[in-house]
Amino acid sequence: LSASELEEKYGTSINKGLSSSRAAEILARDGPNSLTPPKATPEIVKFLKQMVGGFSILLWIGAVFSWISFGIQFAQGAESPFDNLYLGVVLALVVILTGIFAYYQEAKSTNIMASFSKMIPQQALVIRDAEKKELPAEQLVVGDIVEIKGGDRIPADIRLISAQGCKVDNSSLTGESEPQSRSCDFTHENPLETKNIAFYSTTCVEGTATGIVINTGDRTVIGRIASLASGVGNEKTPIAIEIEHFVYLVAGVAISIGVLFFIISVSMRYKILDSIIFLIGIIVANVPEGLLATVTVSLSLTAKRMAKKNCLVKNLEAVETLGSTSIICSDKTGTLTQNRMTVAHLWFDNQIYSADTSEDQTSKYAQPFDQSSPSWTALSKIVTLCNRAEFRPGQENLPIMKRVVVGDASETALLKFAEVILGDVMSIRAQNKKVAEIPFNSTNKFQLSIHETDDPNDKRFLLVMKGAPERILERCSTIMINGKEEPLDSEKAEAFQTAYMELGGMGERVLGFCHLYLPENEFPDTYPFDTDSMNFPTSNLCFVGLLSMIDPPRSTVPDAVSKCRSAGIKVIMVTGDHPITAKAIAKSVGIISATSETVEDIAKRLNIPVEQVNRREATAAVVNGMELKDMSLQQLDDILCNHSEIVFARTSPQQKLIIVEGCQRQVRGQGKGWKPISQALQGAVVAVTGDGVNDSPALKKADIGIAMGIAGSDAAKNAADMVLLDDNFASIVTGVEEGRLIFDNLKKTIAYTLTKNIAELCPFLIYIIASIPMPIGTITILFIDLGTDIIPSVALAYEKAESDIMNRRPRNKKKDRLVNEQLAVYSYLQIGIIQSVGAFVTYFTVYAEQGFLPSTLLGVRVDWENNAINDFEDSYGQEWTKYQRMYLQWTGYTAFFVSITIQQVADLIIRKTRRNSIFQQGLFRNKVIWVGIFSQIGIALILSYGLGHVTALNFIPLRFQYWFVAVPFAILIWVYDEVRKLFIRRYPGSK
Amino acid sequence: MRACDKRCGSVGTAPARPACRLSCGRIDENKDEEKVQDPNTGEAETKAEMGNKTWADLAGEMKTFLWNPEERTCLGRTAKSWGLILLFYFVFYTCLAGMFAFCMYVMLLTLSPYTPTYRDRVSPPGVMIRPYLNGFTIAFNISKRSTWQPYVDSMHHFLSTSGCLTSPVQEEKNIECISGQYFIQGGNESEEKKACQFKRSLLQNCSGIEDQTFGYSRGQPCILLKMNRIIGYRPGAGVPVSVDCKVQKGNESDLRSVDFYPGNGTFDLMYYPYYGKITHVNYTSPLVAMHFTDVKRNSLVPIQCSLHGKGIVNDVNSDRFLGRIIFMLSIGK
Repeated sequence: LSASELEEKYGTSINKGLSSSRAAEILARDGPNSLTPPKATPEIVKFLKQMVGGFSILLWIGAVFSWISFGIQFAQGAESPFDNLYLGVVLALVVILTGIFAYYQEAKSTNIMASFSKMIPQQALVIRDAEKKELPAEQLVVGDIVEIKGGDRIPADIRLISAQGCKVDNSSLTGESEPQSRSCDFTHENPLETKNIAFYSTTCVEGTATGIVINTGDRTVIGRIASLASGVGNEKTPIAIEIEHFVYLVAGVAISIGVLFFIISVSMRYKILDSIIFLIGIIVANVPEGLLATVTVSLSLTAKRMAKKNCLVKNLEAVETLGSTSIICSDKTGTLTQNRMTVAHLWFDNQIYSADTSEDQTSKYAQPFDQSSPSWTALSKIVTLCNRAEFRPGQENLPIMKRVVVGDASETALLKFAEVILGDVMSIRAQNKKVAEIPFNSTNKFQLSIHETDDPNDKRFLLVMKGAPERILERCSTIMINGKEEPLDSEKAEAFQTAYMELGGMGERVLGFCHLYLPENEFPDTYPFDTDSMNFPTSNLCFVGLLSMIDPPRSTVPDAVSKCRSAGIKVIMVTGDHPITAKAIAKSVGIISATSETVEDIAKRLNIPVEQVNRREATAAVVNGMELKDMSLQQLDDILCNHSEIVFARTSPQQKLIIVEGCQRQVRGQGKGWKPISQALQGAVVAVTGDGVNDSPALKKADIGIAMGIAGSDAAKNAADMVLLDDNFASIVTGVEEGRLIFDNLKKTIAYTLTKNIAELCPFLIYIIASIPMPIGTITILFIDLGTDIIPSVALAYEKAESDIMNRRPRNKKKDRLVNEQLAVYSYLQIGIIQSVGAFVTYFTVYAEQGFLPSTLLGVRVDWENNAINDFEDSYGQEWTKYQRMYLQWTGYTAFFVSITIQQVADLIIRKTRRNSIFQQGLFRNKVIWVGIFSQIGIALILSYGLGHVTALNFIPLRFQYWFVAVPFAILIWVYDEVRKLFIRRYPGSK
Repeated sequence: MRACDKRCGSVGTAPARPACRLSCGRIDENKDEEKVQDPNTGEAETKAEMGNKTWADLAGEMKTFLWNPEERTCLGRTAKSWGLILLFYFVFYTCLAGMFAFCMYVMLLTLSPYTPTYRDRVSPPGVMIRPYLNGFTIAFNISKRSTWQPYVDSMHHFLSTSGCLTSPVQEEKNIECISGQYFIQGGNESEEKKACQFKRSLLQNCSGIEDQTFGYSRGQPCILLKMNRIIGYRPGAGVPVSVDCKVQKGNESDLRSVDFYPGNGTFDLMYYPYYGKITHVNYTSPLVAMHFTDVKRNSLVPIQCSLHGKGIVNDVNSDRFLGRIIFMLSIGK
């Protein structure tokens, strides 16, 4: 379309732009030019979800039952019906408070993210009413004429109508890392390919352009991708599944025991009302009310810790998902590498030298090559002079590597390289004044400049040239060896070829350098150099050397990759880059280990065609996006499971999604390799890193999507579960470590919490069966669950790892459950029973010392609870009023409570480890545990002595010695568990 | 063996199974053949793998779980494994029960059989009345014998059994004590203690000797009040505890006169202290009889009778039987 047709189509004028009123009209029609954020669940729905999720429903049932029984009792005019009313209210409060808490925690973590993604409002330069105006980009409408210049973000999808050297960075959209030039010519049918459209959210790197807005907001290309991302369903996180499993388990136990005892008590001729009250008690005893809150706190503590290590977790549950990750699909650029070209190798004097590629090079002494050769002097001069890149002014205090450079990637690399070794490049350039220059272009593939020399005695001009090595060599007739020019014979050319091939084979970008001192007689001082006619020699130059550059891997990455490997995590590289570069980086960071070979490598070694190689022999594979396109899912699965080291190169975003799905189909086989499984079973847990908008579907699809904090686009961050603040792969590994640790620690927390459930449940059962006075009250139970036990169970989240958790394989989602049979059985049937026994000893002691011997207590319930009997005889012949008995009963509650608390201290200590002895782990390493223990005892003291006079709470100031009755049992728990751990260490694998 | 089971069992997919069996199933070799002959098993497994679990499959799985003939396991364990598990729990719980018994034994050893370690919860004493039928409302019509006969029976029953107040028994077993002072019996704690006589005749009009109906037939009911027994408790600190009654809420004049027996409604000091049911075998709790000679008829009169004396508490809100008792009298014609 021509400009005038465009004007017509969009009802605008190129010179005058839209009128303000017309713009307002369109704005009203189309809505603001911004992406609608992914649909958020209404806050109230989120809140209500917390209210009914998990155990809450059970507790609601308990509360409703309490109210019903209150209603019945009240109607019957019983004496103290209000107990049940209070209980119902307390239960409801518990549900609401834990709900609010969980909601608050979630909101808090969402807020971190929200603040993170909030951006400064973008401005756009628009022509309206024939005037240039700065407007917020949100107010752009279709038909607006906008001007953009280098450095701007494109404010909408724009059809260019004029452009001067405009280049845009489309990487966030298409993954192409090179800036693309844009002009007003129509070059392709596909809007994504044509050169006259610039896309919303991409950046204009250089040049200027004017264009008509053709799409705004969600209708832009990027808006459509974003909506695609939100279309990809969110998978349930493994920890959510685990917790669900756990809730089902405990709720199942609670309901079945409750119903069982309801039936028993009814058939034992208890009144239905009493039976209902028992049912409530059993439910309350069985449900670990505080646990879900504890889990949330533990997760958010870990999330905080991870944030300190540069992993920002958006979704709390993702903390653990990272720990169960079995495959990481990582980007190359920026994640594995430093995302900056750096000189890696040099070739001069017939020798390859390597250069320092670490992140923080500072002095030239760190460079490991010989700087004394005169060839190097010549080479360094060319590197310095034949370079258009410059530092932005005002950065003298920054380390060289951090300074911002104006210029393309390779020139930047060369500039920094020179600056590090030679010092102030700018002054060298000033001393060697440039007299002529031919910039790099794609046809001649070289860059040339002519300089005066800094030697005042030398009046010759120096011609320096750099470019594609083969083109440079073509123009040379001599080569510099040790500072002397020697004729370039075939032998030397051969040496050049070998070096070139070798450097190229390492995936590096190679540049050739040559120079020529122009004879003084032919080119006097005043010689008019003309770059168009090239009135100076450009052949028969002297070849000086090669420099090769690469985007080097981050120094921490190889270590991190090997950690992943020992942790049983498969690292797959997925990149849009060239296979050779990808492979080179993969090799250097260890994604492809030194000893393994690809099919191609084997073919080369055995000198046979690729087709004849047994594919199973190759452990590594480099798969090209082109090959991937023609592959069936079956073949992809084949590759994913038969090769342990895989690199996908030249992949498109769509293919990334396919790869992620492929990975999710894999499951770790027994011992050897991986095997595909059907969709019905859960496959591998896949973590995916990405930064571009185009990655967001893959990020969403992945079990855990990791976006880059620095390079990442907002869409990617939105789709991701986690944001790496430093874009560093190594941070993922620390995240994995934390994730695994939290899984282990949650296991401990749950084991700790479940144990006392039995000690809370047994009293009810024995009360029903043996008809003894009630050993512990429902409200007292709530005080254990939500009072004394909370801080200790959170403290377990601070526990250090028992052994090197990074030497373990990722947990098998089907086998390594959060709560498994052993854990439940051990907690319930062993430690829990010991606790109950210990608590009952205290209970009987309290009663016996007050005059009720255990034998008297059996079967006493009906009379004991009879309000009218106020001369109840004890074992010694004394007579008790009802209230005196109740007071004693509450003393019993408190004593029971205290014994459980004391034994929970032992439980807490034993739960510090699962296999190691406590003494190996160190009793004092986790200080928070001690905070937990002291808080536990402190809360118990406050409840007993501080709140002992509030009747509704049923706490009584307890005689001091009763605190110690359960101590032998606490010690028993400890010793028993140490013995168990000893057996486990001695005979691993059994029971 | 169990570890081996576990390893085999945990492999979710079919192809790996034979390998695993080879590695750890020495005894199961013949069953491998079975498996080969039976392609259905494999099919079922693949079906399960496909995730299209039908109820039949589920039931089948359940059945295998309950009894797996192939591996001879019930609920996922072999007989041997179950045996070991049960043995372990048997031993474990036996030990635990032993420890419990031991602790209880040690605890009971520390207790004295005669006096409880603590008596702080049971004192000051509570109060109860007789007759006691269902609640603390005594309502009857003079003219209808059936309405007051149960109360009378209750009184007779109480006086003849629980207190053994019949004179012969009292005279035979108990001694006459010196009135007006505590009957303190020193000596060994385990020695049998003497009990003081509390003859039924002391209750005079309310003794049920002369008036077999305790005044109920005349509309002047007797109600016995007793103070709860507390070992070693000396009520009143030297001054006998006395009883009085008044209308709890309402018109004072509803209750015009009450007679108290014996001794004007006091608990004589000589009946205290109590030494516990083992040594103080025939101890008879002293009683105070309240003879409501003139109470307003045909209306529900709430009456509160309280103890008075040093150390007696009768005004605690939460315990309405501590040092006092509240009951209703309703006497109809």
